[in-house]
Amino acid sequence: MTIDMSQFYEVFFDEAEELLAEAEKLLLDINMENPDSEDLNAIFRAAHSIKGGAATFGFMDMTEITHVLENLLDKIRKNEMALTAEHVDAFLAAKDVLKMELDGHRNASLVDQEQVSDVKMMLKSLSEAGGVVIKPVPKVVASAPVAPVEAVVAAPAVANAQESSTTEPATPIAVSDDGLTRFNIALPEISEKDINNLQEELGLLGDVVVNKEANGRTTFLLTTDSTEADIVSICSFVLNPDDLVITIASAVIASAPVAATPKAEAVKEEDPGFGLFDMEDKKAPAVLKDTVVKEPVEATNKSGIAIHEEVGYGLFSKDGKEDVEEGYGFFAPFKPHSDAVKTTLIGDDTVATEANSGKVNEALAKVEVANAEVVATESADKRNLGRRESDKAPATAETTSIRVGIEKVDLLINLVGELVITQAMIEQRVSALDPVHHEPLINSVTQLTRNTRDLQESVMSIRMMPMDFVFSRFPRMVRDLAAKLNKKVEFVTIGATTELDKGLIERIVDPLTHLVRNSVDHGIESPAQRKAAGKNETGVLTLSAAHKGGSIVIEVTDDGAGLNRAKLLAKASKSGLSVSESMSDTEVFNLIFAPGFSTAEVVTDVSGRGVGMDVVKRNISAMGGVVEIRSALGYGTTISIALPLTLAILDGMSVSLGNSLYVIPLNLIVETLQPRAEDIKTVTGEGRMVHVRGEYLPIIALHSLFNQHTDITDPTLGVLVLLESDGKKSALFVDRLVGQQQVVIKSLETNYRKIAGVSGATIMGDGSVALILDVPALIQMGQTSNYLTGAQTFSSNSAHTMPNLVI
Amino acid sequence: MNTSAEVAGNTASASLRSAAGEYLTFVLGEEEYGIEILKVQEIRGYDAVTPIANTPNFIKGVVNLRGKIVPIVDLRIKFNLGKVVYDEFTVVIILNLSGRVVGIVVDGVSDVMALKEDQLRDVPSLVTSIDTKYIVGLATVEQQMLILVDIEQLMSSPEMALLDAAVH
Repeated sequence: MTIDMSQFYEVFFDEAEELLAEAEKLLLDINMENPDSEDLNAIFRAAHSIKGGAATFGFMDMTEITHVLENLLDKIRKNEMALTAEHVDAFLAAKDVLKMELDGHRNASLVDQEQVSDVKMMLKSLSEAGGVVIKPVPKVVASAPVAPVEAVVAAPAVANAQESSTTEPATPIAVSDDGLTRFNIALPEISEKDINNLQEELGLLGDVVVNKEANGRTTFLLTTDSTEADIVSICSFVLNPDDLVITIASAVIASAPVAATPKAEAVKEEDPGFGLFDMEDKKAPAVLKDTVVKEPVEATNKSGIAIHEEVGYGLFSKDGKEDVEEGYGFFAPFKPHSDAVKTTLIGDDTVATEANSGKVNEALAKVEVANAEVVATESADKRNLGRRESDKAPATAETTSIRVGIEKVDLLINLVGELVITQAMIEQRVSALDPVHHEPLINSVTQLTRNTRDLQESVMSIRMMPMDFVFSRFPRMVRDLAAKLNKKVEFVTIGATTELDKGLIERIVDPLTHLVRNSVDHGIESPAQRKAAGKNETGVLTLSAAHKGGSIVIEVTDDGAGLNRAKLLAKASKSGLSVSESMSDTEVFNLIFAPGFSTAEVVTDVSGRGVGMDVVKRNISAMGGVVEIRSALGYGTTISIALPLTLAILDGMSVSLGNSLYVIPLNLIVETLQPRAEDIKTVTGEGRMVHVRGEYLPIIALHSLFNQHTDITDPTLGVLVLLESDGKKSALFVDRLVGQQQVVIKSLETNYRKIAGVSGATIMGDGSVALILDVPALIQMGQTSNYLTGAQTFSSNSAHTMPNLVI
Repeated sequence: MNTSAEVAGNTASASLRSAAGEYLTFVLGEEEYGIEILKVQEIRGYDAVTPIANTPNFIKGVVNLRGKIVPIVDLRIKFNLGKVVYDEFTVVIILNLSGRVVGIVVDGVSDVMALKEDQLRDVPSLVTSIDTKYIVGLATVEQQMLILVDIEQLMSSPEMALLDAAVH
């Protein structure tokens, strides 16, 4: 079957956008020295969710970026790497790239592929370098905004070689320092296209010379200031780094004086570039003086402070003008400095002036450099920001849906409920009036009734959606995954028409995506393994949804390998979790929900990082649901998600008992009957049963179960409702049937607590509250004798019957 | 308001100092109680309570409060005070305790009064039908003793059985 995935794109776009925004917020707030592990996890989860979604819809470019991003985040999350400002910058850059790609998919806006690959490379190198910064952000991002930054930083040094400094460091490639190394990179046999790609990529690091060798192989001669690790990380995009042979052709090439333009990080990290600077500075103090003094002038001119411009001109009229002009050529695209920087420069200016022709110490020079650096970084940020904003501008495509807070919709539903009740009251009052005298009023009320009903229906329909909306996302994903993993998987869905609250539908997508991926990746074995285990080569993955008791149960079932108890325990104790052999299977299985827990040997981009289940559990708990795992080694695994019906609508049968009304979910009712006296049987004079078409079913008397007074204690005078749940049948004895109706389920737990035998409450037409019966729990309670004899203890009930809710 | 604030030796304890503020006072039998006014959401009559099976007798059931299902506790039964009758004069105080809405049935609501630190006294150790730790202090107003209850602590205590023991 073919499914038009594009109908779900909008949802993904909205979601991804929210996740990106959230991740950015977290990144910006993060405490660098002592990052909150919760925050890191949250950022990681956001990336993971985007990856999952992107993979589902086949946006491979986004998957790639998030995968690299995840790798890095994972290391930091596991404390294998300290978080640094460079990381955060890189993450933010990645976020921007993701946003760009997202917009690209959404609005068909332009995606800067160069930037994409740059960021990807940067993340990769960060992740491999173990925290050592190789290429900070502004470096790698597209060259245009970078050039002026370098120019400023370079300026003090440029002054050393005054005339020659005009050589434009317009592109980072042209900039070189004396730390150059010539690498000889022997490539394995790869295609022409890959070679070209590599050449382009490496070209960003330095000069590349391609040598074709006779045996069809290719070697690059790369002259660069980068490290070997850099090269490996770049090449690893195209080929397996193990196949690379990198040798250093000739160590250090003497640098031309022209090249004395250290880069931003060179200065910061006291690279040879800085040493050189210092050295020359000692050699030629006079020149340096000139430098220091002249520099602020340039800067002041740029910042447009008139007074200082004049001072500068007055003091340095000799070569000031020339320099200014030079500066203008240099700094044409440069924006004014921040005030802070201005003041610093002014201060330095004065110092420099007062220092006259004396020696200007190194410290001052360093201050200068530091200042320039600050300016550089700041303005680089600004420029990037500006660029981003301008990029955003053309994105005018309007959204076709709006996302509204659940609370708002809830409020609306509640208000409409109130309105319906009020309307019913008015109707009742009006019906007592004389129709002849009040005809207009009665007509109006009839109209009001109709409108109210329409309003209620449309408000309700905002929330309800068939599970199909979620389920239909998966066949494609399963197919792609199976193909990728070389597995054969048959995908089956059951109960796709089950209606679920839209809020829940949206929130169940992520957990389900994770679960389905996990099932395909870890659950279902490879065809060979399956064959060896005597199973059909094709695994079956079933996704089902059904109303059960007071919950909607969504299950992901695979007939794969099942969970390996021993392996889980071993892994858990290795991860430092407290475990023991005596733990029950359920407890052991629940270990997979621990953050960072994964039994997969290899981390693939599909799963195995151990983040998924953590998210699943968290998301479902947030919805008030429960996750349960049932698994048998060799036979498969079922992960069952029970969601409460907080706002779902239930088809119910209302029954009366004494003065109260109860609602029984209609789908659990097999039939209702009024028994004849001869059909009622007893065992040892107690446990009553009813004989229905050859079956003996236990009678559960609701009044004794609920300890409630009623005049009808003889089943032949009341009604028996035959219920079936989990394959067990029972006859519930109530006073009478009242009627069938749809009810909105309200949680009792919001303000109260769980009640044994009750799954929720609803508000009836007259405004009174009716309790919704929890049929599985009732059946269970009916089989426990102390309920029948009336020896209840209220507190133990809930704990006692709780597990049944989940089954 | 006659504040018989004897400047006796017993200075108010730290908990009492923080207990100063505005209180809604209500009557249970012969006794007068006070609860922090900020915990009170509204006061309404007693009607249409749906009983819940297998709950302690002081939990009367739940009502529909504008679409919310709210449990109703009869403090007269819990505290063993007053005649338990339900008529048009029965008062329910709807409390909002950190987002959880609960109704309490009392004999009558009397007043809202501001209590100062020096009007408050510590509670001596006593044996009562509720733990004295839920009583923040005593106050004397017009020769009448006012029992100040930490209603939030009381309502979330296990003895009120209003919360899921397993969850909270």
